[in-house]
Amino acid sequence: MAMTAILLVCAGHFADLPAQSPSDLPFPLIRRFENFGIKDGLPTHKVHCVLPASDGKLWVGTWKGLVIREDGKFRRIGIEDGLSHPMVVCMVEDPGTGDLWIGTMRGLNRFSAGRMTVLTQTSCGLPNNVIYGLEIMSNTLWVATAAGLGAMDLKTGAWSIYDHNNTVMHEPWVYSVTAAKDRLFVGVWGGGILEYELSKQIFKEHRDPDRDFHFDLVPDDGPVNDVTSWVAWSDGILWQGTYFGMSRYDGLRWRTWQEKKSPLPSNFINFIFARGRVAWIGTDRGVSVTDGDTWANYHTDAKGATIVEISRPHQPVETRSLPTHLPNDFVLGLWANESEAWFATSDGLGHGFLGPAETLPASASVNKY
Amino acid sequence: MKATRLITWTSLAGIFVLLGHHFGGQAHIRRKLGQKPLAETTCLNCHFVSVKSLPWAQPRPHHDSPAGLAVSPDGTRIWIALDDQDQVAEADVKAMRVIRRAKVPGAPYGLALDPRGKQLFVACKSQDRVAVLDTTTLTEIDSIEVGMGPVALAFSATPKGARLLVANSMSDDISVLSVSPWRELSRPAAGREPFAVAASCDGTRAFVANRLVGLASVKSVPESELTQIDATTCRVTSRDALASAHLSESVCSVPSRSWVLTPLVKVRNMVPITQVANGWVMSSGFAVADRPSGRIVQLPLDEANDYFSDPSGVAADPSGHFAFVASGGSDVISVIDLARVSNWLARATQAQRDDAIYDLSLSPEYVVKRVRTGRNPRQLALTPDGSKLFVSERLDDSVLVIDTGTLNPAGRIRLGDGGRDDPIRLGERVFTSSAYTFQHQFSCRSCHPDGHVDGLSYDFDGDGIGDNLLDNRSLQGVAGTGPFKWNGKNPSLEIQCGVRFAKVLMRTEPFPAKELRDLTAFIKSLPPPRVNRTNRDHLSPSEERGRAIFFATRTPDGREIPVSSRCVTCHAPPLYTVRLPFKVGTKGQFDTTEAFDTPHLLGVADTAPYLHDGRAQSLEEIWTLYSTNDAHGVTSYMNKIQLNDLVAFLKTL
Repeated sequence: MAMTAILLVCAGHFADLPAQSPSDLPFPLIRRFENFGIKDGLPTHKVHCVLPASDGKLWVGTWKGLVIREDGKFRRIGIEDGLSHPMVVCMVEDPGTGDLWIGTMRGLNRFSAGRMTVLTQTSCGLPNNVIYGLEIMSNTLWVATAAGLGAMDLKTGAWSIYDHNNTVMHEPWVYSVTAAKDRLFVGVWGGGILEYELSKQIFKEHRDPDRDFHFDLVPDDGPVNDVTSWVAWSDGILWQGTYFGMSRYDGLRWRTWQEKKSPLPSNFINFIFARGRVAWIGTDRGVSVTDGDTWANYHTDAKGATIVEISRPHQPVETRSLPTHLPNDFVLGLWANESEAWFATSDGLGHGFLGPAETLPASASVNKY
Repeated sequence: MKATRLITWTSLAGIFVLLGHHFGGQAHIRRKLGQKPLAETTCLNCHFVSVKSLPWAQPRPHHDSPAGLAVSPDGTRIWIALDDQDQVAEADVKAMRVIRRAKVPGAPYGLALDPRGKQLFVACKSQDRVAVLDTTTLTEIDSIEVGMGPVALAFSATPKGARLLVANSMSDDISVLSVSPWRELSRPAAGREPFAVAASCDGTRAFVANRLVGLASVKSVPESELTQIDATTCRVTSRDALASAHLSESVCSVPSRSWVLTPLVKVRNMVPITQVANGWVMSSGFAVADRPSGRIVQLPLDEANDYFSDPSGVAADPSGHFAFVASGGSDVISVIDLARVSNWLARATQAQRDDAIYDLSLSPEYVVKRVRTGRNPRQLALTPDGSKLFVSERLDDSVLVIDTGTLNPAGRIRLGDGGRDDPIRLGERVFTSSAYTFQHQFSCRSCHPDGHVDGLSYDFDGDGIGDNLLDNRSLQGVAGTGPFKWNGKNPSLEIQCGVRFAKVLMRTEPFPAKELRDLTAFIKSLPPPRVNRTNRDHLSPSEERGRAIFFATRTPDGREIPVSSRCVTCHAPPLYTVRLPFKVGTKGQFDTTEAFDTPHLLGVADTAPYLHDGRAQSLEEIWTLYSTNDAHGVTSYMNKIQLNDLVAFLKTL
């Protein structure tokens, strides 16, 4: 009896200890969150995208307008300020000029030194007003729209359009575009991934070899699915998010993941932010961070607390509780560096602090707004 | 008897030939246009039209018209850009004469010196480049490509190295260059037609004056932009609106004050032009922008019954005591006491500041002198010690030197003969002079800067107040494209600029006959706007596809496009107009006609906005918003790529 008690205590003690130190992970962990909602000045709970700019300001795209956070305060920029539509879907900063390009559900906007300029499909060569993704590369603004990929020369303002009429694109509904060193990768809804080599001006298609809508019949043979919701590239690695799993491509080899068969928490991927060789993944069930081998999945458990499940190769999953939590598990947008991460979710804006653990008073463990 | 019969038969034959010619000719015209013409039509509408025979395509005299100025650090030398001669002249200030000239291809227009005076930077307007001249040898030692139509530059010393900022007037952006190494760092967007740039006294910021208003709805209050750039980061830090104002052609930073000054024209294009008195068409002034606060006050230059039109150059002396503004239409330099301006601003309420520009009794508060100049004073420059002010007298081919101590002219640097025997030059003098309008309020140039557009729509009262809002069309390339007026009722420029113009706008006597001849000679000499194809001699694939669409007689699926709806029917080359009015479905609520004169399309890329009333802010909008029933050409079959191709082709014309 006593021996049983001793063993139980030891087991409980060891259960509290991490299997290994978090310093063995290839990426930092989120130690705590602070969250922002309507009470903090956001115009709505629904946040689509987030972008820290090079001048230190934070830009937030929401269902009800563009928001800028400076000096700790949120300020809304809406259609009354010249924004073409309140639903802000994506943003990109021009590294040369600092101008912010904003994609909405009705038109493209350039915000420069306080002035908004609107470009629409009726006023210029933009292929379509419904804009899902933006990228800047080689003095060109690349725009992923519901009717093709648009490319605007930032010096001349001249537009080119790439769609199913003049490329191998399967259909024109383009969800995202990401720049690699000398090429672009384009996520096409129902069309897999297009790879565009700038110097040769040729497109190449990457399609799911299985052609099966729901299952990854043969893993690691190509894109996991043709319904591409997002693409992101960094340090030689292309990440593909779909509604049916995730893929990774290093230029030679593909790897695929689906839920239940891998640490990927959900097949439904909204967004991927890639930094170095690590991907931050926004799903409908929280946030995942991975380099393809090691995973850290953040989501809310049944009791309402955010936990992180750390999956290391060939090791049991380690679960840790966080004193604070994500605003919502439906994550639509992300941004991260070595010390912090921002999360655009269906129910508020989340700010994650990365690095060493901090001890917080118990009352701070619940962060509701 | 025989003779009578012969005469009768010959007459009858002649009548039959004439009737056959008339009716046969009319049938030919109807077949070619696909409809009955709405105006008198002759063979010459479509045939025997040659660009080579037009006045602007003929050789013409070139003049030593001074543009930009730059003074050496020791004040002993002045360099003068001579864009019409592809030269830069160097003059001795003391001797007041030119001592040497350098050939600089590309219409040198703006000048800037490095602080040591060793390198002269030249904005070459027609070659889209900045040339670097060694001032010792006055030879070109380097060159760099910038945006389109560079007209002004400013040298700026920043903590991260020397910068050169270039206003690119035709690409609406600013090239920020690193001087060492020599390369373009950034090209941020400016307002519309950036025309001047000045560095702050500490070199960390630059200010850009933009000449035209931004494109907006026809009935919105126009506003132009004063752009501020951080020269270190190459980022635009503010875009200040100059409400209901435009034609800012220069800018200066005031030493010892936190001010930026830019001249402006206060335009009242939304008010029907029912009267000219009291500045009801336009008045001239200058903006005082206070940089820390960002507040801008517009102050008048004009007086109640005397106007100082087309304010162009501005300069402030090193002590920040005086500012000088050149009025190109009135041949005057206004001397402004900035201390008095400061005192007035300190006393004024916000309401007084807001209304100041409308108070034509205010300028005597701070304008201490008006110095008469030669014709069309434009750019200004001061010696570093502020003792001398140099004034480009553009249409006299000279540079006036004013002693700023006495505020009197001290002499002139003669560059040329003024072009006194050249009708085109004489006509340009008429064009730029406000002497012919009521109380000298404006000149032709006031609405047509450099003979081009000002981007605004106007309401002339001659056809009814509020009726027929009209887009201001470019005069560049109009030779041979008559008739004129939006409805094509004026058969020639002589009629257009004659009695009607005097009655409707000048409100004075018409131009005298000789001046009218010279004026029209000048207008006809203006070539079409330059297009952005200086480095290519062939069309791109997109432009080729667009060309095919423009000349198409069938849609891609084989359906015939009616003759009356083909682009080329109304816009036939080489002028891309057959010079007839047509109904294209663009009659607006307040238009009294539905048939509009067909404008030519040469240089159309640079003449926004479009359509007779300027409602289309871009070429795309002509069809995406204002021609949804194929009334203005058959375009409903086009996808977006095809429309983009058509627009790309139009922009090559």
